[in-house]
Amino acid sequence: MKKGLKVWLLVSLVIILGISMFGCSQPAETPAAEEPSSEPAAPAESSEPIRIGFFAPVTGAAASDGKSATQSAELAVKLINDGGGINGRPVELVKYDDGLDTKQAVNIAQKLTTKDNVVAVVSGSYSGPTRVAAPIFQEAGMPMLSAYAIHPDVTGSGDFVFSQSFSGSVQGRAGGVVAVDMLGAKRISILAVDIDFGKTLSEAFTAYAEANGAEIVSMDTFGMPETEFSPVLTKIKETVKPDLLYIACYPSHGTEIARQSKRLGLDVQILGTEGIDSYQFLEVAKEDAEGVIITTNMNRDSESDAVKNYIAGYKAAYNMQPDMVGASTYDAFETLFKVIAEVGTDPVAMRDAIKGLKDFETVTGRLIEYAPSRVAVKPVQIQIVKDGEFHYYNEITDDAIIRD
Amino acid sequence: MYAIVVATNIGIFVLLALSLNIIAGYAGQSSIGHAAFFGIGAYTSAVLTSTLGVNFWLSLPIAFVVTGLIGALLGLASMRVKEDFLAITTIGINFVVVAIFQYAPIFGASLGMSVSKPSLFGVKMDNLMFLILVGALIAAMVIFMRIIEKSWFGLALASIRNDEAAASSLGVNIVKFKVLAFAVGTAVAGLAGGVYAHYMTFIYSSDFAFLVSISILSMVVIGGIGTIRGPIVGAIILGIAPELFRFISDYRMIVYGGLLVLMMLFQPQGIVGNGSFLVNKFEALFGKGRKKSVVS
Amino acid sequence: MLLQQIINGFMIGCVYALTAMGGTLIYGILRILDIANAAAYVVGAYLGWVIYATTGNLAVAFFLSMALTGAIGVLIQKFIYTPILNKPNIIPIVPLITSVGIFIFTGDFIRLLVGPEIKDFGVILPFSVIKLGRIVINPEWILIIIMTAILLSLLWFVLNKTKLGLAWRATAGDSEIAETMGVNIQKVMALSYIMGYGFASAAGMMIGVLYSSIYPTMGDIPSYKMLAIIVLGGLGNPIGTIAAGLVIGLSETLISAYVGSVIPRDAIAFLVLITILLVKPTGLISRKNSI
Repeated sequence: MKKGLKVWLLVSLVIILGISMFGCSQPAETPAAEEPSSEPAAPAESSEPIRIGFFAPVTGAAASDGKSATQSAELAVKLINDGGGINGRPVELVKYDDGLDTKQAVNIAQKLTTKDNVVAVVSGSYSGPTRVAAPIFQEAGMPMLSAYAIHPDVTGSGDFVFSQSFSGSVQGRAGGVVAVDMLGAKRISILAVDIDFGKTLSEAFTAYAEANGAEIVSMDTFGMPETEFSPVLTKIKETVKPDLLYIACYPSHGTEIARQSKRLGLDVQILGTEGIDSYQFLEVAKEDAEGVIITTNMNRDSESDAVKNYIAGYKAAYNMQPDMVGASTYDAFETLFKVIAEVGTDPVAMRDAIKGLKDFETVTGRLIEYAPSRVAVKPVQIQIVKDGEFHYYNEITDDAIIRD
Repeated sequence: MYAIVVATNIGIFVLLALSLNIIAGYAGQSSIGHAAFFGIGAYTSAVLTSTLGVNFWLSLPIAFVVTGLIGALLGLASMRVKEDFLAITTIGINFVVVAIFQYAPIFGASLGMSVSKPSLFGVKMDNLMFLILVGALIAAMVIFMRIIEKSWFGLALASIRNDEAAASSLGVNIVKFKVLAFAVGTAVAGLAGGVYAHYMTFIYSSDFAFLVSISILSMVVIGGIGTIRGPIVGAIILGIAPELFRFISDYRMIVYGGLLVLMMLFQPQGIVGNGSFLVNKFEALFGKGRKKSVVS
Repeated sequence: MLLQQIINGFMIGCVYALTAMGGTLIYGILRILDIANAAAYVVGAYLGWVIYATTGNLAVAFFLSMALTGAIGVLIQKFIYTPILNKPNIIPIVPLITSVGIFIFTGDFIRLLVGPEIKDFGVILPFSVIKLGRIVINPEWILIIIMTAILLSLLWFVLNKTKLGLAWRATAGDSEIAETMGVNIQKVMALSYIMGYGFASAAGMMIGVLYSSIYPTMGDIPSYKMLAIIVLGGLGNPIGTIAAGLVIGLSETLISAYVGSVIPRDAIAFLVLITILLVKPTGLISRKNSI
């Protein structure tokens, strides 16, 4: 049997080698891809395209967010190329689908850093894939902007990793300001989706609300695929009787909470988050969405050209309404375009330029600067649903709230 | 680098497929919750190294033993249910285990767990070292399975798989061998989990969800259940497919689903399983060597 | 509050029972765990949505969607499952993986065709919320009760009062004896799939109406929760399935209302399942007792 053993060892070795060979023998479009280009590419010297990497969950459970993010990425690239590119160089999007799977995100990050010859990367994905990809970009010394993933460990990966959205704790705290200071709520119930998004936001919300005289009278969490809320809403209506319901969740949950609470006769102000900043929430919840207030980063009523152009451009290109996910992705690209136009594509220069950005007008509000934690500092927008659309309700610019 | 990373990812799933093969292939027990044990190993070793400061190289054997013990225990409890009832019970175990990862603060709950990369002789392990580690584990596993196939244990499992009643009347202690198969299979999955957690540096409850169990099982069946080469080939094919099909990005999942159906329709024995087209051709070309060794 | 919660749980249980009934009818004859039933659930919901949007008639939408999905089911049975099951030495995992393949294929096919976003089903029902003191009854719930009653009576009629139904029951009891008695197994299988996929389609539509939203991944939860209910109901026993659906619906509701969200609802279903199986390894009502 000795012989059989050896054969098997050999076979497994050959297989492992085979895989490596297969990978290596893939058409290497750019032989120099192994080392991150350290020489600054002088803009004038060529009209070579500037390649920017991108990944989003186009398939799987988060496919609608993946679609929004991808469409906005493509729109950003199209608009910059229509305008002549960056200093004469066109931009090329290298996009991948991570399927909301961390294993695929690792493969993608590795491919982007070593084979695709991209200068920077935007993550249009959720926290899991973004979190596992971030250290790989950090190690490769390649700037990465996370569009909307808010897991606190993402930017902790290192100084090349930035978050284009404000942190979960800023938004949770802003929610607390709306609930306690603006709406005068005293007894608050919380419903949060049980992933990092719901957890970080509801924790910060609770901390602010309790410190400012309100009471959290109930706190319930639910899984991502949940759509049935009558048991918990009945409990809230019959025994808890709050004067405000804070929901940190996504459109599929938000619509059902709005619809089912109306039906059960739970007449209470609902305060949501950027998670339900989506046309999907408005289309399904319809009149039950009226009066719902959310904390988010895009002001639909803004007079700024950035916002108007984006909304009009998106509608024209895709015949649908843009949402928070798309706007944040678009902004991540706008930020990269601005930085590349200023300093070129040297990774260290790009990183320093992003760090040094001040008062940059984006679709998702004025980017005041990046905090030392490399998370964007922006005003928090408060929007209210009126006549089936999001409209301006208020804005929070207080430094104590919008800085961690 | 890209190839190394893809190969390591695939290698971890080769280990998982091989370990499930002991339970589903050798012992013939339909287990559709294997990712639960993958997760138990991953979280055990992650808690050991990241929370308790235990050395990575010590955490791996501990994850191996802990997962194997839990696997044996759950296997013993599942002995009451048979066939399809067992299949669903294992799915249930998968859901309950994932729920525990999702809710217990020690496992990072809904924030997941960050794990730091381990070192070997003071050097931080890079991707190549992980590939070598995974390759070594696969080699050890293959040797181990060769030994099992020829041992009293393997023969007892084969007799249980073929005819449980007959095996029992011949004095084979069915419960003992089934539980042993569960223990060994789940322990290896736990080991793979330990490597995975430290290779990915971040684990989250849904990494070990039911869907992952299904894909491990698909690897075993697509390759050829009950053989050693089958799970290896299956894991490589299903592992590399998402990367190969990147060029049809939007159609990847639909192609994947369609391929599963076509494979089961035309090669239900698996690509390189016993009696499959490839193996039959191979045997026709190179003589009946394999058939003889099966008899002996 | 307890009464309201029991009503909530009962409604959820009805939906579960209907969802799992399709799988049960198929398991009763073919002895396969057909995850693709959840694909029929999604297809049924989308077909119903399209038909409702074009005709504006909910009854027509239900009927047509069930018939079309049932027809798809027969095609799948004829061209995929029967050839697979007729091969020698097929282990039960093979049809299971086939059904997973069909499920993935269908879900992604719909995503490519219609898009991944949530679509509004947009049904306007002729009745509004009913309030009896503090008890609230949703209009969609009345529809669910009516549809459940109609569908279950129909099922009872087909299984007990028609020749084919008799053949179905004989085959579910013992397929070999039934075959020697001259039962046309192919016809019985086709009936299983027409009814099985028809039920799944009705369940999908009902969920679409209840939550007013449909999306390509809406079959994800039913795909596995259905299995828990089928097994709890004794694998292939329609009455057991109804009982199991209600047990799971009620326990989920009461646990999440009174114990709080210590564990997610999906895990509750499986905890109940494992607990009951440990006590009674053949499910609530075992298949041999009655059909």
